Order: sequence, then C-alpha cells, then structure tokens
Amino acid sequence: MAALLSEEDKKYLVDLFGKELKSKVKILFFKSDDKDECQYCDVSRQMLEELAETNEKIDIEIHDFNDESELVERYKVEMMPAVIMLDKDGNDMRVRFYGVPSGYEFSTLIEDIIAISKGGDVELSSATLEMLENVDSPIKLQVFVTPTCPYCPKAVAMAQKLAMKSKYIQGEMVEANEFPELSMRYNVSSVPHIIINEGAGEFVGALPEDAFVEQVMSVVKGA
Amino acid sequence: MPMFNLSGMSNESKEKNYDVVIVGAGPGGLSSAIYTARAKLKTLVLEKAIEGGQINLTNMVEDYPGFVSISGEELADKFVEHAREFGVSFANEEAMEMDLSGDVKKIKTDFGNEYTAKVVIMDTGSNPRKLGVPGEDEFANHGVSYCAVCDGSFFKDKPVVVIGGGDSAIEEGIYLSKISSKVSVIHRRDKLRAQKIVQERAFKIPNMNFFWNSVVTEIGGGNSVEYVLLKDVKSGKITKHSTSGAFIYVGLVPNSKLVENAVETDDHGFIITDEHMETKVKGVYAVGDVRKTVLRQVVTAAADGAIAAVDLTKYFD
Repeated sequence: MAALLSEEDKKYLVDLFGKELKSKVKILFFKSDDKDECQYCDVSRQMLEELAETNEKIDIEIHDFNDESELVERYKVEMMPAVIMLDKDGNDMRVRFYGVPSGYEFSTLIEDIIAISKGGDVELSSATLEMLENVDSPIKLQVFVTPTCPYCPKAVAMAQKLAMKSKYIQGEMVEANEFPELSMRYNVSSVPHIIINEGAGEFVGALPEDAFVEQVMSVVKGA
Repeated sequence: MPMFNLSGMSNESKEKNYDVVIVGAGPGGLSSAIYTARAKLKTLVLEKAIEGGQINLTNMVEDYPGFVSISGEELADKFVEHAREFGVSFANEEAMEMDLSGDVKKIKTDFGNEYTAKVVIMDTGSNPRKLGVPGEDEFANHGVSYCAVCDGSFFKDKPVVVIGGGDSAIEEGIYLSKISSKVSVIHRRDKLRAQKIVQERAFKIPNMNFFWNSVVTEIGGGNSVEYVLLKDVKSGKITKHSTSGAFIYVGLVPNSKLVENAVETDDHGFIITDEHMETKVKGVYAVGDVRKTVLRQVVTAAADGAIAAVDLTKYFD
C-alpha cells in the first residue's frame, strides 16, 4: 500500500512530536487479518506504523483480536480495529479508538499521544476537576463519530480528557459507519452522539466543557 | 478530504494577554488574523469546533477567487495555514463570557481561562435555522439533520428530503445524491434561489427530484423519521411523502447571544457595525455571517476581516 500520510504531514508530526513528547507512549492495536471480519484493520495498522516512524517514543504493539483473548479480556476490547493507549509505565489511560481514527479524528489521536506522553496532562477547568473527584463508579463514554464531521473531535477529546483525569472514566471514539449494528442499537443518525454507560444516558452535539460534564454527571447521579 | 486530517491541531498558547482576540475561526476571523499578525499585533483566535468554521460543512466551494473548485475543508486548511505562517496563536476553546466595557476586554472560556485584549473581533458565525414544524425536535438526531457532511453516511441507499432552495440546500442535496437512493428537494417557491450553475447541475442528477410550491408541515415516524407531510401552498392539499431523513437548510440564525446585551443587533440578532466593521462599542468588531450584511459568502467574510483589521490599528498607534 502507498504511504497513507503525506510527506508534509509526516514532517509536521516529526517536528511536533520532537517538541512535545516527553515520555514513551505505548499503543496497543487489536486487529484481525480476515478482511471479512475487519475491513479497515489494514489501513489502521499501516497508519499507526507510519505514525510510530515519526518518533521513537511511540511504541506500537500489534495484537490479534481472536487469538489473544487474555489481552482482549484484560483491556476489555470489544471490537476492532481498536487502539488503546498506555503511559510509559504501562498504565491504561482509558482511551479507546474503535474504527480508524481518520479524517478529523486523526488530530484527536495525535493530541492524545502528546497528552499521555506528558502523563495525562490535559487542560480542564477547576470546576470539572473538582467534579471528577466525586466520581467513584465506572463511567463509559462512547462518542459516535463520522470522519467527515467537523464538530466530532471536540466531543471525543472531551470524553478522553475526562478519562485521563479519572480512573473511573473510559473515553471511546466509535466510528459509526464501521460499526453499523452498534450505531443502530443506539439509534445514531446525527453525530457526535454520546452514549453514557451503555444507554443509561445520551446526548448529541459538541457541547462546551461545563455542559458536557453536566450531562455526564446527571446520569451518574441518577444511578 | 484527506484520509488523515491534521487541521484540528491547535498550537496552544499559555499566553493570556493579547492585542487582538478573535472569537471564531471562520474566513472572516482568519482573514482579520492574517492582517493583524502582519501588523505585528499579538493575535489569538478562539475556536470552539474546527478552524475554518462553516466552510468545513461545504462539500465544494466554487466561488472563491483563485480556486475553481476546492473542498470547503481544504480551503479552511489553507486559511489556517496562512494565519499560522504569520504567527497567529490558536486555542480550541469556547468563549463563554465577555466583558467588553473597558479599554481592556476580558474573555472567559469553557476551559476556565481568562484572556484579555485591547480589541475583540466577533466572528461567531451562524447556526442553521430551524424549520419550526411538529416532529422537528422530536426527531432531531433521529433522521432530522442540519449537516449533510456529518450525517449523510447514515442514509446510504435510503431516500431523504432536503428542505430549502438556496445554495446550501441544493449543494448539500447534490452531495447527498451520491450517498442516498433518492433526494427530494422541497421548496416553498416555484424556482430556486441557488446559483444558476448549481441549479443546472442539480436538475441533471437522475436521483434528485423537486417538489415546488411545497412546505413541510410535519415530520413523523416511529423510532426515526419515516415521512414528512407536504402542503401544496397553492391548492392547500396535503400529501404524505415517505423518507428516512430530513435535511433542513432554511436559513441562518446568528450566534450573537454572547454579546447581544453589549452591542447593537437587528431584529434577527445580526450584529450591527459601521462601514469599518466596528460595533457601537469601541474596540469591538464583527465580521462574517454574524454581522448584519447583504451577502454571506466566504469572499465577503474575508473582506470584512480585512477591513476590520486595518481599522483597528488605530487603537495601537
């Protein structure tokens, strides 16, 4: 396959990562080689490998979704292609990408790598951080996106920032077109569509930080 | 659109005090930023969603000089790149509160940051106007959409309707015709308002048809949209039209809430400026779609931006 990232983008990333990356970031990638089972695994894998070439601090570990059930279990990988990010000590940063992080979502992937290399250093308001202190039960945030949706990265980034700052929160990007059954289950037809705890709550749209957090907390408090 | 797109990256700046803060990174704001940066004014652009603004939602732009045909997203990219080249700072933050009264303007964002600037340029753009019919809110996100590039792929090989007759309606209808099985354009008049060249293209598309002199009076269905009720404005006759999706392009509502009590707006909420793009409040400008103006195009927004940027240098002499 021809290179997926343009020379220009590679140069940009070499420069950006050179300046921004502090410690190592490990990316676990789960795939299947069966095209019928995972149409876009190849593309995802190649993109990640090209990404890893831009800086030695980015490690890619490739795993088979079907054969490595122990790992799949440990990280609760539900679908593929899946990207999971670990910090330098191998801690799960609770960031997931299901489907190819392509289009506008590619920026989100890059920003996550940088944030995790800085130990989960993300910008959130003090009110949000305070709220996160009170979270003591698991919250799963699935953000359904399409790669052509310009509003979606903000919602994914918000879910994943919360995940990096609270060990109870998992922030997932789900590429809606790649997982039509899941999209159908939640009746997703406008993106970004955020599903909280498997349907306990939901909202649509790239809300500002306080409103996003409020939506999430309203479900948790109601539980 | 490139398969892997980096246009959303922000070169976040820790600096909080600026000469000029531009709220919104549409063509107007970015054009201002290019001029103010070249005037050596310290410039920050705040953007809540994606740099480039609403042109990112446009499949193809064919009326911006210099580009016969360019995707909205690529044109947005070029604007941003241009501004970055001259040292403009960007922050992916949403302005939530503004104090515009003094010589130093204050802007609080959703991340809890407070920025200051001597001059503020509002380039907050507009949102799609709602149709205002029963079912619209109920089926919002379940078949009713205002963004074809975002949601079009959910209607692969299904029939959709597009409501409206302007450039956006017809251009996005053409975009949807490549994904959906059939696109029915519903327009309240007997001819379109869209540019002639766009109309001609649409009329040639086999899976696009037109309901003239028709308005949608209701959107209905079960879990998601299944039909719209069409009323013929001449005969008053109502018919049921089956569809899986309703894309609504019936005009724009300005995003001026943030400053509506500070600056002067017209009855629709568009910000009123003088011919230099300055509002009634000294040091506060408005450019692009949010401004009361006779034409809302990329080229006019960019022109607004240049005029504002040149005028505001008077505060730094």
